[in-house]
Amino acid sequence: MTAPVQGGADLAVAPEAWLGENPTLSNRQVFRHALARFADEDPRVVLLEADLAGGGDPFEARHPGRFINLGICEATMLDVACGMAATGQVVFAHTFAAFGAMRACEQVRLGMAYGRANVKLVCDYGGLSGAFFGPTHHAIEDLAILRAMPGMTVVSPADALETVQALRALIDLDGPVYLRLGRNRVSRRETSWPAFELGRAMCLREGDDVGLIAHGDVGVAVALEAAGRLEAQGVSARVMNMHTLKPLDEAALQETAERTKLLVTVEEHSVLGGLGGAVCESVCSLGLGVRVVRTGIQDRYDATAGSHEELLQRHGLDGAALAERILHALPRPRRAALVPALRRG
Amino acid sequence: MALVPLEERARRIRRTIVRLAASPTGCHLGGSLSVVEVLVALLGRVMKVDPKEPRAEVRDHLILSKGHAAAGLYAALAEFGFIDAEELVRRYNAKGSDFTGHVSAKVPGVDFPTGSLGHGVGLGVGLSLGHRLRQRPNRVYVVCGDGEMGEGSNWEALQVAAHHRLANLTVIVDRNGGQNDGPTESILSQKALGERLRAFGLQTAEVDGHDLDALCAALESPSEAPRAIVANTQKGAGVPMLRGKGPHYAVFSADHLRRALASLGEVAP
Repeated sequence: MTAPVQGGADLAVAPEAWLGENPTLSNRQVFRHALARFADEDPRVVLLEADLAGGGDPFEARHPGRFINLGICEATMLDVACGMAATGQVVFAHTFAAFGAMRACEQVRLGMAYGRANVKLVCDYGGLSGAFFGPTHHAIEDLAILRAMPGMTVVSPADALETVQALRALIDLDGPVYLRLGRNRVSRRETSWPAFELGRAMCLREGDDVGLIAHGDVGVAVALEAAGRLEAQGVSARVMNMHTLKPLDEAALQETAERTKLLVTVEEHSVLGGLGGAVCESVCSLGLGVRVVRTGIQDRYDATAGSHEELLQRHGLDGAALAERILHALPRPRRAALVPALRRG
Repeated sequence: MALVPLEERARRIRRTIVRLAASPTGCHLGGSLSVVEVLVALLGRVMKVDPKEPRAEVRDHLILSKGHAAAGLYAALAEFGFIDAEELVRRYNAKGSDFTGHVSAKVPGVDFPTGSLGHGVGLGVGLSLGHRLRQRPNRVYVVCGDGEMGEGSNWEALQVAAHHRLANLTVIVDRNGGQNDGPTESILSQKALGERLRAFGLQTAEVDGHDLDALCAALESPSEAPRAIVANTQKGAGVPMLRGKGPHYAVFSADHLRRALASLGEVAP
């Protein structure tokens, strides 16, 4: 699955240059290259797979002694990961999000979270990115489940560079982590973003009408596109990249609530229990008194074939639909002036 | 201490267990008593462990996958100096204590919390793989229940152990014939357990699980593959008043405790 690497940049030293030389690698492929590179300098890092490495994994090629494909047994892979972590390894265990978060849920809960294991569960196929493979290969509940486990750090990076930076930070974090990736998106940022810091939301765009809070390659891209469309209609949007869902950056949330009139969460996850749920919990408990519109995957299993983008559109997860929805939700004076210009169809 | 015969150690552990059964909450009595000799053979003879350094890097590991037998494990850890027996009896399941009714990793000598069944073998496989990677001599002993072998995750993990030829791993099944709702054979048969373990690629022995010499011999026999030992035991073993009953869980009255201690050679005060 992984194409040979181009160019001579060092992914660990100059990730932006490396990504420039490898513009077609998806975020999850970038993860594999980055883990292989970081493991050069950290002999504690091992990678476990449950028959979903896909062949040609760069970590396997570079560190064969620290790569173990355990076969099709996700639950056992997570118990094994927790056992290995107790010997001093930093154990990465990879599978699809549906299997890591749900099939192996009890192993994650007891071994990783309750046992406080230094295990990093890395799952791709987050959200609907499994697309035409159907709901068995979708994960719309994973963040709600993992977020509820005490002690778990939950991270959903928005692009390839953030994937590299998050991975670097997570190797150094002693404790259980869920790193959630998509499938085939190739995400490269178009503008410069603030430095990545675990647990600190980053402001990608300033604005004072609406606060968009997003995570992941789909959520952040959709939020940025909607913000651009809103700007053309005279609505200014603040866009926050909440890459760390747990612990949630409540200070950034409060600041965004105070600077804007409406909060909108944008994510490729069920509208129940993910970032939308987390933001609502904090808005209520902090008494911020602001309305929150939760956008994301609707509360249903979607067994409709089609491309990833087509499935996302069915749930309103595209920039145009999101902008329109926000215009409807904003306080009346603006809405009356702007809705006609954006109505589709 | 070192000269106390293993049989005497087993008797003392049973006295502690019946005391825990007489605590306000009671304990998982039958399966704690059935596993005593297995724990004595491991902690008292076979395993390289130091109660003064329970987290040492180079040492052996015990995972009680049948984590409901916490009373048995805690009592054994007390006998071998990891924890204080009187404190255990005073604080078992009590407010603010670390001695929870299923095994807590806060207790010295415990590597992983257990209680939900079917996790110990996988955890043990991970320890074995990790130590092999680090070229350490550490050996790993996982104790399961026979009812627990109904959990498919055990068999998943046994496949992995055999495939990777984890000779530093031993899985002991406490074949006491009972589970929560009754006799294992009437609920989900574990007939041919030894044959199945053998077929999965484990070097398998079947022994009397209350015979310390037989247990030690099986545990110390050399092996190039992961080992399994089916330890045939009795639920409630060692306490005559429980013979043939072997309750899964019990809360002892003062009278029960007096009779049980008397049968274990202790005259009640």
